[in-house]
Amino acid sequence: MEFHTSKWLEAHLERNAGLKTLPRNLILGDIFGDGDYRLILVDVDFGQDLKANLKVYRGTGLVANQPLPVLPSSLISFYNDLTEPYLPVVGVSCDTDFLIYKNNKPFYKFSVPSFPLTTTESNVWQRLPHVTDESDYKILLEKLQSVSFSTLSSRSQKLLSVPLNNIKEEIDKYSGEEPSIHPSITCSTTLRKNSEDDIAVSCAVIGTENGYIFILDPLTFTVLHKAVSANIKSSPFILQTSGLYDVEFRILVICRENHVCVIRNGWTEGKILFRTANAIIDAVHLSVDKSLVVATAGKNLSCYSKKGNKMWTVKTIHEITCLCLLSLKSSNTYLVGVGMRNGAIHLFQGRHIVDCISAPDTPSALLFGQMGQEEHVLIIITIAGALNFKILKRTANFNLESQETSGPVVENRPLPLPKRSKLFVEQVMREKQNACDIHQRFQQDLIKMRLTAARAMVHLKPDENAAGNEKELVKLSARVTGLGPTFTLILNVENMSNEKPLLGLSAILHCKTSLYKLSSYVIKKMETKVLEINEPIKGDNSDKNNLIRVFVIKKDGNQPVITASINMPDTDFLDIL
Amino acid sequence: MGIFQKLVSFLGINKKEVNILVVGLNNSGKSTIVNHFKDGENKTHEIVPTVGFHIEKFENKNLSFTAFDMSGHGRYRDLWEHYYEDCHGIIFVIDSTDTFRLIVVKDELDTLLQHPHIRNKKIPLLFFANKIDCPNALSSVKIAASLGLERIMDKPWHISCSNAITGHGLHEGVEWLTQEVRQIVATKKY
Ligand SMILES: Nc1nc2c(ncn2[C@@H]2O[C@H](COP(=O)(O)OP(=O)(O)OP(=O)(O)O)[C@@H](O)[C@H]2O)c(=O)[nH]1
Ligand SMILES: [Mg+2]
Repeated sequence: MEFHTSKWLEAHLERNAGLKTLPRNLILGDIFGDGDYRLILVDVDFGQDLKANLKVYRGTGLVANQPLPVLPSSLISFYNDLTEPYLPVVGVSCDTDFLIYKNNKPFYKFSVPSFPLTTTESNVWQRLPHVTDESDYKILLEKLQSVSFSTLSSRSQKLLSVPLNNIKEEIDKYSGEEPSIHPSITCSTTLRKNSEDDIAVSCAVIGTENGYIFILDPLTFTVLHKAVSANIKSSPFILQTSGLYDVEFRILVICRENHVCVIRNGWTEGKILFRTANAIIDAVHLSVDKSLVVATAGKNLSCYSKKGNKMWTVKTIHEITCLCLLSLKSSNTYLVGVGMRNGAIHLFQGRHIVDCISAPDTPSALLFGQMGQEEHVLIIITIAGALNFKILKRTANFNLESQETSGPVVENRPLPLPKRSKLFVEQVMREKQNACDIHQRFQQDLIKMRLTAARAMVHLKPDENAAGNEKELVKLSARVTGLGPTFTLILNVENMSNEKPLLGLSAILHCKTSLYKLSSYVIKKMETKVLEINEPIKGDNSDKNNLIRVFVIKKDGNQPVITASINMPDTDFLDIL
Repeated sequence: MGIFQKLVSFLGINKKEVNILVVGLNNSGKSTIVNHFKDGENKTHEIVPTVGFHIEKFENKNLSFTAFDMSGHGRYRDLWEHYYEDCHGIIFVIDSTDTFRLIVVKDELDTLLQHPHIRNKKIPLLFFANKIDCPNALSSVKIAASLGLERIMDKPWHISCSNAITGHGLHEGVEWLTQEVRQIVATKKY
């Protein structure tokens, strides 16, 4: 597809920024409360030992850089209270700790509570310090192996990988202390507490590697709700939420095992919503229709409904590396940005590509939102470490485009045709086959219709003048109110015909001027189908010959359409008084 | 000059009403600049982001200005063009610390210059490179270069550095604008 004028302004491109940022490790937030939105990201140093830094950008400049204890899994930002100035906190998931920063300073730390050991594992660890024989070790280790690996504590997992001759050393390290299961946090997101406003308190939602989801209180950071993703092994790596914690909410848990679970209010165990055939790469939840757009390996982009039904799948041109949501609230447009190998970024509205952007190379993370003072900024961080900001032009309009270019759609399975479309398709087939006949028939009918129209026209023409002469089609009634000497005369002209309008009518009132003085003698312009003339007439004096004549005439007509004589009431008695 | 001045006053331009359009991105300092020209008692102390636009009147050298202080927020920027037809001069305010959005400034300026009501009109353009007091502010030369102001051939333009809070640089700029508007109004009379 060709897009001649770009909808994007190239605001900044730093090819050698040297950033290594993973998806869900960058956010935008007004973290200093000055209305100037900063970009906060985790930059990973894949050196000898993994290190990570939390970096803050203001516009194009790096303004803060602080080291993190370990490699974080995700980064979120939310308002935890609404005291002025409104300052959002930044939550970094580091191993088993959820670190909260406010005003770019450490503010609070939440540690995932430990989980109890399985009885087998616990028994093994009770006995381990007391055995010395190598064969005994073997028996105990075999026992450990019988427990599913993922439910073991990290210490047991490590023990299983240690060679047999070092095992004593390894066990002595812990001096008889029983291990505990302390899962690391693998993902996090936010859930609005009770308001949909732009600035509103949200809860942090974190997911752990053993499939548990914790909703944290915004103020105290204690656990408000705890649930397990599903009744089978699940390792969540993306969380998406919708709704309000206090009212009704839904948490979608996207797991490494290629399934997506849903957790609702009050549930302590989630349900599997759907499974995918290929490995899930990234997913974006669209709050408008509560659908989930999922990118899976093998160049697939699919959309699943709220109920978990697959609504569509399209093949992308390259392998997808990351997704991001572009919400343009002012125009009520929600797009999904799809970052692919080779640096192409396609914007999808539904299943249609509405724009193509190019990044310097394969994007590793995408984010769209307000940056600095600018509302619509797309941030692209590439695998090669480039940092690219693109600003959406104010005049960009995706809606129009989507109607025009809804053409090329990659569809792997023909949709069942709805009844009406089928009818239409059959009709098209018929038209194709009998094109000549149909054309001739059509021309014939057209000519016939023209003839009928012309006849009707001819028929109507002479009729027109006589329209009013058919007396019975016009009704004129008059009413005189008042006791005198001043009267009000109300004329009512009614068109009785259903077919012909009465246009260009006017009325002339005639009377003995010695008897009556009228407020007007000519009433111009009586139109519309039902006419009503409310013409107050001032009468004066009295005589026996007290008649007022009304002539309703048509424009250009020399004959009145209808006439009436109105007998005015006596005013004699006035003299007596 | 004396004769010219007399002529001008004879033609009644002295008390001419002049409409000035103040545009620029949000947060660039438009309202702060306009506020500076208001009389002491009308000055507002707290400036909040403008919603839609504000109309302010002030006088300078016998010209009475009506300034249309437009909002620079994205969703109100399409209001600007409705005032292009009736304005005698444009003040374009740029936040010289906002390097990130300089490209947006250029985009909006280009849109403005290509507008049918501006394109063929000889209308003076005054640029304020505002917030020059901030440490990371770009120089007016750099701003002029990145906006490509040298391309504007058919309209008189001028860029001056300003600090809208202290008022530094504002009078110089407005003086220039007054002069230009006066000339244009005068030539139109002949
Ligand atoms: N340091 C400094 N700050 C300034 C200057 N001019 C304006 N400001 C500040 O910039 C902020 C925005 O100023 P406004 O005048 O509201 O900006 P505006 O262009 O009218 O913004 P909108 O009405 O939203 O389009 C305010 O906090 C001002 O105090 C300046 O010259 N220097
Ligand atoms: Mg303003």
